[in-house]
Amino acid sequence: MHIPDAFLPLWQSAIYWIVALVFIALALKWAKHELSEDKIPLVAVLAAGIFAIQAFNLPVAMGTSGHLVGGALAAIVLGSPYAAVFILTLVLIVQGIIFGDGGLTTMGVNILNMGVIGGFVGFYGFQTLKAVGLNRYASAGVAAWLACVIAAIAASVEMAIAGTFPLVPGLIAMGTYHAAIGIIEGIITAAAIYFIATARPDMITENDAAEAAA
Amino acid sequence: MNISNTQFLIGGLVIAIIIGGLAVFLASGDPDGLESTALYVQGEKTLTGDSPKDGDPEAVGVNDAVEYEAPLPDYSMGGEGGKVGDLIAVFAGIVIVFALAFGATRIVAAKKS
Repeated sequence: MHIPDAFLPLWQSAIYWIVALVFIALALKWAKHELSEDKIPLVAVLAAGIFAIQAFNLPVAMGTSGHLVGGALAAIVLGSPYAAVFILTLVLIVQGIIFGDGGLTTMGVNILNMGVIGGFVGFYGFQTLKAVGLNRYASAGVAAWLACVIAAIAASVEMAIAGTFPLVPGLIAMGTYHAAIGIIEGIITAAAIYFIATARPDMITENDAAEAAA
Repeated sequence: MNISNTQFLIGGLVIAIIIGGLAVFLASGDPDGLESTALYVQGEKTLTGDSPKDGDPEAVGVNDAVEYEAPLPDYSMGGEGGKVGDLIAVFAGIVIVFALAFGATRIVAAKKS
């Protein structure tokens, strides 16, 4: 769901950039206080893996393809939605500047949709589902699906405000395609968490609100 | 099956490179969800039907958009680069993101107390 430059008027892109910069600043503050040096390998591997898998579009029928976004994965594994903002910002900078995937003026809105919305929905969705009794992998998978669909709905609203897509047809199509693409997001997120938990259980920060309080 | 940091780093990078390499040969050429939506709202495709081969999703966009020429558009070195060019482009991207994330985290991460 990388929005190209042509899909937003400049003044709207500027507003989304300002919002994105606020979250980037918060993510840097989080990293400075909460992201310990021993997480460096995990962040580097997650960023490289998310970049690689975003180049791998899988068919979802309906003449459409999609790929993992990875915001929910980063947020769940590193225990903070700001981890998603941090990692997705790095990935989107390289994609936009070197590969022309997602615009430059629209990099702000892409950081907002995939990093901020993806990260917050993925993280809090995961916490909520786990609290109501779903196991770790089911919670992660469903939260990742939700992160994909809600980010897509946000994108269709942004496109409607810009006048690029009409609101209702845009919502229907974005919702339909990303409900399918979200299944990829859910499966890969759950599988990646399983692999990391198997290889290095100590690296996963599952900031459980309940456990932290206890 | 606990592995060391170095093994995790190298293993993770190798997995990313394998995924990127497979992507060059196996990735779907169909438009993504946003592009499909753009084709749908233009009447170029039905909601659940196939996408046109020559559809232009960006036709719905604004005309005065910034035109930026990325050095490796679409994860490719262009037609003459072929699949080898695509592989080099994707691998370069993976290594750049890996190095950038490693460096950025190193700079900003909290010192271990």
